[in-house]
Amino acid sequence: MTVTAPPVPQMPPPTQPRGRLQRFLRDEAWTGALVLLFAGLLFWQSTQVRAWGSFELQTLATSTLPLVFIALAQGVVVIAGGIDLSVGAQMVLFNCVAASLMEGAGFGSSLALAALTLVLGAVVGVLTGWIITVSGVPDIIVTLATSFIWLGLALWIMPQPGGGANPSFQEMFVGSGTAYWPALLCIAVPLLVVWVPLRRSRIGLSIYALGSDPQAAFLAGVSAPRARMTAYALAGMFTALAGLATTAYTGGGQASIAVANTATLGSVAAVVLGGIALTGGVGGLIGPVLAVWCLFLIPANLLSFGVDPSYGEVVRGVVIVLVVLSGSLLRRKWSKA
Amino acid sequence: MTVLDAPRQQGSPLRRIPAAMLALLGVLLALILANGLVDTGFFSLGQLRNTLLIAAPLALFAGAQTLCMLTGGIDLSVTMTATAVAYVVGSRAASGDSAFTAIALGFLVALVIGLVNGLAIGVFGVNPLIMTLGMAAIITGVLTVGSQSFLGGATRMPQIVLDLGRGTFLGPLPWNLLVWAVLGVGLVLLLRRTGLGRLVYAVGDNRRAARLAGVQVWRVETAVYVIAALLAAVAGILVGGRSGAVDLQLTASYLLPSVAAAVIGGTSILGGAGGYGGTVLGALILTVLDTMLTRLAVDESLRQLVAGAILLALAWVYVSSTRRGATRRRSSA
Amino acid sequence: MAQPPDLLEVRDVAKSYGAVRALVSADLTVSPGEIHALLGANGAGKSTLVKILSGALRPDSGTIAVAGREVRFSSPVDARRAGIAPVFQDPALVPHLSVADNFTLTGTDRAAVRPWLDRLELDVDLAERVNALPLALLRMLDLARALAHDPQLLLLDEMTAALPSDYADRVFAVMREWRDRGRSVLFISHRLTEVREICDRATVLRDGRAVDTHRTAEGSEARIVGAMLGERAARVDLPMAERGPAAVPGARPRLEVEELVAGRRLKGVSLSVAPGEVLGVVSLEGQGEDDLFLALAGDLRPKSGRVLVEGTPVRGRHPIQAIRRGITLVPSDRQHAVLPQRSIRENLALPLYSSMRSWGWISDRAERRAVDKAVEELEIDMRAAGQAKQLSGGNQQKLTIGRWLVGGYDVMLCFDPTRGIDVGTKHQIYRLLRQQAAEGRSVLMFTSELREVRIVCDRVVVLHDGRIVAEMPAAEADEERLLHAMHDLGPHDLGPHELGPHDLEPREAS
Repeated sequence: MTVTAPPVPQMPPPTQPRGRLQRFLRDEAWTGALVLLFAGLLFWQSTQVRAWGSFELQTLATSTLPLVFIALAQGVVVIAGGIDLSVGAQMVLFNCVAASLMEGAGFGSSLALAALTLVLGAVVGVLTGWIITVSGVPDIIVTLATSFIWLGLALWIMPQPGGGANPSFQEMFVGSGTAYWPALLCIAVPLLVVWVPLRRSRIGLSIYALGSDPQAAFLAGVSAPRARMTAYALAGMFTALAGLATTAYTGGGQASIAVANTATLGSVAAVVLGGIALTGGVGGLIGPVLAVWCLFLIPANLLSFGVDPSYGEVVRGVVIVLVVLSGSLLRRKWSKA
Repeated sequence: MTVLDAPRQQGSPLRRIPAAMLALLGVLLALILANGLVDTGFFSLGQLRNTLLIAAPLALFAGAQTLCMLTGGIDLSVTMTATAVAYVVGSRAASGDSAFTAIALGFLVALVIGLVNGLAIGVFGVNPLIMTLGMAAIITGVLTVGSQSFLGGATRMPQIVLDLGRGTFLGPLPWNLLVWAVLGVGLVLLLRRTGLGRLVYAVGDNRRAARLAGVQVWRVETAVYVIAALLAAVAGILVGGRSGAVDLQLTASYLLPSVAAAVIGGTSILGGAGGYGGTVLGALILTVLDTMLTRLAVDESLRQLVAGAILLALAWVYVSSTRRGATRRRSSA
Repeated sequence: MAQPPDLLEVRDVAKSYGAVRALVSADLTVSPGEIHALLGANGAGKSTLVKILSGALRPDSGTIAVAGREVRFSSPVDARRAGIAPVFQDPALVPHLSVADNFTLTGTDRAAVRPWLDRLELDVDLAERVNALPLALLRMLDLARALAHDPQLLLLDEMTAALPSDYADRVFAVMREWRDRGRSVLFISHRLTEVREICDRATVLRDGRAVDTHRTAEGSEARIVGAMLGERAARVDLPMAERGPAAVPGARPRLEVEELVAGRRLKGVSLSVAPGEVLGVVSLEGQGEDDLFLALAGDLRPKSGRVLVEGTPVRGRHPIQAIRRGITLVPSDRQHAVLPQRSIRENLALPLYSSMRSWGWISDRAERRAVDKAVEELEIDMRAAGQAKQLSGGNQQKLTIGRWLVGGYDVMLCFDPTRGIDVGTKHQIYRLLRQQAAEGRSVLMFTSELREVRIVCDRVVVLHDGRIVAEMPAAEADEERLLHAMHDLGPHDLGPHELGPHDLEPREAS
């Protein structure tokens, strides 16, 4: 008769229950470090720029607004264990859609059109999620393919740069004069109204579960297609917001492939720097916002060192690589200890 | 468990070609025929030459991508590497260096880029997507600044580069086809008939198993990213030679198609399965398609749409055909 | 038929994965108020049936009825709704979420779990993240969650495997309580004593068919084993006589380990293996045995101590350095060894190319010769040669051993080489190891099946708490002595007559 080794006689006492604060520090260490980095960069800028004030803040908040939304879109998808190489293309598509529809429209109808764009964003997201689910093709490939498709549509809608936007609508996003709070509000409202309640709900948890461990999530009753489509739909709404913000910021539309590609790459960078693990299931949406702002400030601050700001791109690349590098080194150290 | 029917193990070489490859070949032939119908001139030697002229650099980029994907990675810095090489060759030649020196310097730059990528990914475990994205950003930045300073001024491609890029070596066959053919055969043999090739597949299929079997994964990955960068350098020289001038956007349009060609050719983005033969078919399909759409004077918008749809459709077909009959990874125990 | 319908009735259920038929025809009935055991050798189709019953997998054909009503599960949610709640060996808890979030995820009422947490004596902070908690505790939490759903049928899939005995006792108590409430439990376990003592009936699967269902009683282990093995039962034990010649006594040791400290649990181990010797290593789980093997294989860097081959120390931080000195590892988990998408040939030939010197051209003939020899020696099933993932577990294990027959070695480190494979293959592996030893090679083998020590090994060492606590010739290593040593009980703790093997079974331990 087979006698396997009998089990360990006694369970060692479970790990000490951690204090709330301790756990918070452990789980939110990354965001904390980002806050410090951001504050440091802002402070540095304020000491370098004469009469530093709301103008600089407005520049920061409004010019990064599209990229912030794109980073949020990428963030949701990466949390769900995917990656979306089409966020930039989606942003360009919705920019063209909004700019062509809004040309000459009043404020009221502009708002209605914005709502329509958001719905379109959700539809595009659901469609992406559906294709990934049904085809079984890895998301990186599906979104690579759809990025061509969305760019094609954008070019079809707007072969030449053009379109327009209602000035009051523009102000809603970018404010007037040196007001920076409209842009901040634009970020805060969707986060507070949609993401925060969602994150603690079953559907939000299922997005995290899908990214963390698909097998365990499946056995726990999470419907992977539904969770994935929700994540991509949210991402689509964020890219729609990014498109609207671009429309508001530039006052028009342009189907630029280069803009799309830069935005997509920037979103991946922001997500990584923002503390969302590319393996999924880890992180929040505050990190990417801070990361976008940091990535914006770094080249600007370089100027004060007398470095050519064109090197901003180099610094951005180095920062991203270093962040991931130190992350993987830390993980290795932990797993050894 | 009972094994019902086992896949045939031996057979004629033709039968060993996977069905997916035959399907790809069918797609390619259909596209070529369609092209011929659209434009009877397509079968003219001049047109054929043009197609090959465009296909060769793409196939080289896609070859680099295939290698990286087989190890479970990806290299999004291939096109910026190529552009950097083109810059170096062009500016060195313009400032009076011999063609040989200029090209050697170009390859040296590629070697360094590949080494940095490979070591960061292999030794320090940086995610390949991020590493190569970051590398692309770094190269872009350096070239942006450099084109106004140390790489600045006139760039002039040496004559030999111009010949390679657009010259004819025999009949309708351009020089760059010869370069591609040599490197392509080399790549196929590397993957199929060498120890390094075996290790590339092993690392992509199961890193842990490869390590425990004594494979120094970091060496394999470093080698792969170096080879990828060198292939990119050749592609950069070919593209630079064709255009005759260099700018930052020189090869940018090849990046996504390079991934697409490998995927269409059946290389798994997760590593461990695929090969260069399929990638070549993928590159040809994309090129012939592009030629056809150009012939038809189709809008840029529609071309993008069609390219996306084809990539999606083929990836879909490919995945569903390999899924069928395949067991799940963690089947029953 | 006057009697009430069975709680669960499985009829003629079949399931294939590609060419592999995991279930051919499974029948199973579970009555209300019984603990029913589901048994079978590995590969018999147990896991597949469990996955089907828990809604994780859809059967190809056959019917499943719950309380007389036919059901079709398309997801685990359906199964839970029908009153079937599973607990798996790997808990279905999402690692990056807190325990409480995991409960929310499954729609588990926190108030309903609470009493079960108390009942199972689990003192745990529900706000803690799952991946910060030990596996055994997670299984218990998963059980509490399943119980909170108040299922008609509790499905426990090898839940007690390597579970601490105090936990296991609580699980058994809950199982009995569940039965007393008129509910049922389907219990999957490898420990037949457990099955005999707790379960009312047992169903045995073999090769994807249900071959026997009977009421358990004293001595039903023999009947179960007979049913599990079928016609193979004839060669259930390899007689000691089939071994090759014993190791030459007094020969210079090939592998010497001096005060090796590595990982978290290995606290100082010295041992030596002679040419032609198979040295067994046994221990309870978590005594540093995995660290020992990984450190010897060069995968884990020792903190101190030395490893010597033929008198000269092995250095380095990569397995290749050990392999160059002739030390090779057959890891415990086949997923750490097999290249699933590659062919049998590539799997076997892998070590030939690991060195950078062999990155060049492959000699087709030399490779084929080496591979064919290993295939022949191990009788590897070449019908599914294209992709290793299509092979059965036993054949995959043969690949990972065969790899070193191709690559060559002096000392093979085999970590539980027969875990989870069928009896026939087990015996092949026993014979192979003996044969290798007879040819002068050395083997260090960890085993969790204690009877293997007497079948395969010449000598055995017992690991406890990161150190070697006993060493004996295999001939004297009966299970009782080994168990005794594994628990590090001195001879004065229990006299020989007070200690029977059953005293060390989990239930009697506390």
